[in-house]
Amino acid sequence: MKIKKKILLIDDDKDFLFATKLILEKGGYEIFMAEDGKTGVEMWKSISPDLAIIDMMMETWGEGFSVLSKIRATDTGKDTPLFMLSAVDLQGPYNAFEPPPEFPKVNKVLQKPIKAGELLQLVAQELGGK
Amino acid sequence: MTDQSQKPLILIIDDEEVLRDGCRQVLERCGYSVLTAEQGIEGIKLAHEHEPALALVDLKMPNVSGMEIVEILSHDIPDIILIMITGYASIVSAVEAMQKGAHDYLPKPFNPDQLRVLVKRGLDHRTLRIEARKLKEEKDQMEKNFITFVSHEMRSPLVVIRQYIEALNAIARNSFDKEVREIIERCRKRIQSLEEMVEHWLDISRIDNGTLAQQKVSLRLSSIIARGVEEITPICRKRGISLATNIPKKLPDIIGDEESLVRVFTNIIGNATKYTPEGGKIIIIVKNDEYYTTTSISDTGIGIPRDKLPFIFEPFFRCSGQDEKTRGSGLGLTFCKKIMEAHNGGIEVSSREGEGTTFVLTFPAPINTARKATGVSS
Repeated sequence: MKIKKKILLIDDDKDFLFATKLILEKGGYEIFMAEDGKTGVEMWKSISPDLAIIDMMMETWGEGFSVLSKIRATDTGKDTPLFMLSAVDLQGPYNAFEPPPEFPKVNKVLQKPIKAGELLQLVAQELGGK
Repeated sequence: MTDQSQKPLILIIDDEEVLRDGCRQVLERCGYSVLTAEQGIEGIKLAHEHEPALALVDLKMPNVSGMEIVEILSHDIPDIILIMITGYASIVSAVEAMQKGAHDYLPKPFNPDQLRVLVKRGLDHRTLRIEARKLKEEKDQMEKNFITFVSHEMRSPLVVIRQYIEALNAIARNSFDKEVREIIERCRKRIQSLEEMVEHWLDISRIDNGTLAQQKVSLRLSSIIARGVEEITPICRKRGISLATNIPKKLPDIIGDEESLVRVFTNIIGNATKYTPEGGKIIIIVKNDEYYTTTSISDTGIGIPRDKLPFIFEPFFRCSGQDEKTRGSGLGLTFCKKIMEAHNGGIEVSSREGEGTTFVLTFPAPINTARKATGVSS
């Protein structure tokens, strides 16, 4: 049997995690979930996922950025695709997030809610199919 | 720091020992803590160290005058109440002291009752002032937080519900009956329009509190209209409506926020497509003179009843007969009007039922450009 690719979801909204998990499982991935940034970084280290999707705004605004930086700083996180979830909320209505030039690489910024088909397609692109 | 639960601290600065001691006795008997200073520098030093709630200051003293002390203390000590003790109770010196920050004055000679009343009144005033300021600060903070709060707390559940619907479709769409699929689709649409309503409402709150449309730069109206047209063209094509523009090549720039103005145009042109039947026309014409640039957006749609016209910019106003498909958030035109007003411009509407509707957007010509233009031509 083919080994499933592992995806880590980090978001402080349980329902959002669950809904996203259902979608991704349909795509044949193994899903791990973390409800806060700290747990997320720890899980990253212990399970070495093939991709992570990180919410930009968790307990504090910008928490997602520091989580992403920490993951990028690990050995396994250097080249792994990392997606960021943006809720436009606090940045004003039009300014979608654009990472500053010195910021570690973000492979994709996604807007919540994400269309199931789109999410599966983007993940598949990064992971080279199931 | 002076604490409200503790005894209020009063500082007396006066070079007359008899007066200092007299006041101290009266005030201590009233339950206040009292500090005294013989002259200005010592008094100011004590005030800085202990931050009294109230100070009685003799107007006429050697070295540092009472007037100078008032100036310094009212500036340095938060919420201090300053009462001048004045030997020559001329209106002039009293008024000057009050202008420099004194709360009241006490003409010599005075009796203990006068002192007690004045001090009590001063302290009451201070309490009220502090409370009022705290309330105002709280209110400001609440207003600021409110938008943030609504933005997050109201949108999160909506986002999650939509995500669940996505998940539902992803995992089981093929096993659902047509009817079930339709129900899910209807739920999705209603949630989406609720989300849009929250979004529009937030935009309006942002305009009201001045956090939207703040980036004002020089813009080309023609490119803003082009962006609006571009966005709506696919809808027009789908519905068989022709969309034409007539824009002069040379137009003065307008000053504004590009994104919100594009949304104004998208909104108005989008509205026109909603209410124009197949085969209809939408025409956008721009004209300008020395003072204004006006854009009219006309359609050959169903029009708006005369009695409804005055209300269409009101939040949540709807013309009856709108079915679900054309129903928007009820805030689109309110948004447009507020944005136009934030640009010192205007929006007007005229309509004939059964013939069509015209919206006219007006922008003032930038003052400098207009002057330059007349300067060159003369």
